[in-house]
Amino acid sequence: MKRFLSRLFIPQESNNHRALILQPSFLGIFIAVYLLNQSLLQSLTIARPGILGYSSEITPDKVWVLTNKERQKQDLPALQYNSILSESAAAKAKDMFAKNYWAHSSPNGESPWDFFRDAGYQYSIAGENLAKDFYDTESLLKAWMNSPTHRANIVNSKYQEIGIGVVNGVLNGMKTTLVVEHFGSPLNGRVLASAPVTPASATAENFGPATSLHPINPALVGKILGSVMFAIIIGVLIIDSYITLKNRTSRLTGSSASHVAFLAIILALLIFSRQGTIF
Amino acid sequence: MMTVFREIRKHPLNYLILFLLFLFIGILLFTFRFDSHNQRRIIYLAAALYLGWSLYHHYRRGDLSLSIFIEYLLLALFALIVVAATL
Repeated sequence: MKRFLSRLFIPQESNNHRALILQPSFLGIFIAVYLLNQSLLQSLTIARPGILGYSSEITPDKVWVLTNKERQKQDLPALQYNSILSESAAAKAKDMFAKNYWAHSSPNGESPWDFFRDAGYQYSIAGENLAKDFYDTESLLKAWMNSPTHRANIVNSKYQEIGIGVVNGVLNGMKTTLVVEHFGSPLNGRVLASAPVTPASATAENFGPATSLHPINPALVGKILGSVMFAIIIGVLIIDSYITLKNRTSRLTGSSASHVAFLAIILALLIFSRQGTIF
Repeated sequence: MMTVFREIRKHPLNYLILFLLFLFIGILLFTFRFDSHNQRRIIYLAAALYLGWSLYHHYRRGDLSLSIFIEYLLLALFALIVVAATL
């Protein structure tokens, strides 16, 4: 066992002066193990929908408060909370769960404006922001504010009202929370304000059957496994370079410096990448 | 690490190109740090540049072989699979 581990990590005559882990056959095993893990996770989404997914503590009232905070920073008036707009936002989120899509337009070709009209909101100007897989409202708002198109909706001086739908459900076999912001200004100029501190808006709605409260985050599992594998390869590349120098071994292999640089970029991205997706 | 520096000193232009390519990738990743769709595309570009650089570097060194290219290809493929699965 000790000898095998030594061959695995340390270049020596028995492994042709290249740690086994860095040889193509073992790199292939790394890929196979990673793909097997992903296949198992994928099978779980089909066999037990809702086991995998993203938990969230986002509520409509938190999104409304933080959206208005961003507007306040730009000296813009606060958006009034409109329950009709909230109905259209929640309907959009439920439609994405029901038809299993993640986009502004549905597979049937319904645009966001159809949801405004179906809810009975007559608008002169309207907009939509979408988000999924976020855990907290602060990160969600930060992501929207760092995207020029989503930011343009949040700090648009022409909007007077907002409705927010926060709905939990299962999308593509994974439990997630969809957040939909619908912005608008009424056609007749009349602003119908309503406070969001009702039980419906202080908590997220649920769509579909109840699922586990703390699902296993598949991206996190993949990220941890990938990071560990990359860290092992980087470590072995450094050990391999050191021993090759010490023994003055001449061999025909790829450039360790370029491998370390490339893998370090990917590792840094895995470690520092943020939660959630916006659209 | 000394062997890495010795290798870099032997082929400064090759490694300067690699440094500039990865610096460009780093800037792109920072610019799109809140946009996972584009981050994924940037990593696909990084993998393509890495493979292109490996061909150029080993061709210039005169030791370009299939086994070396497969080594780069497998590492690039592994990175792409992990990034596609997590971002």
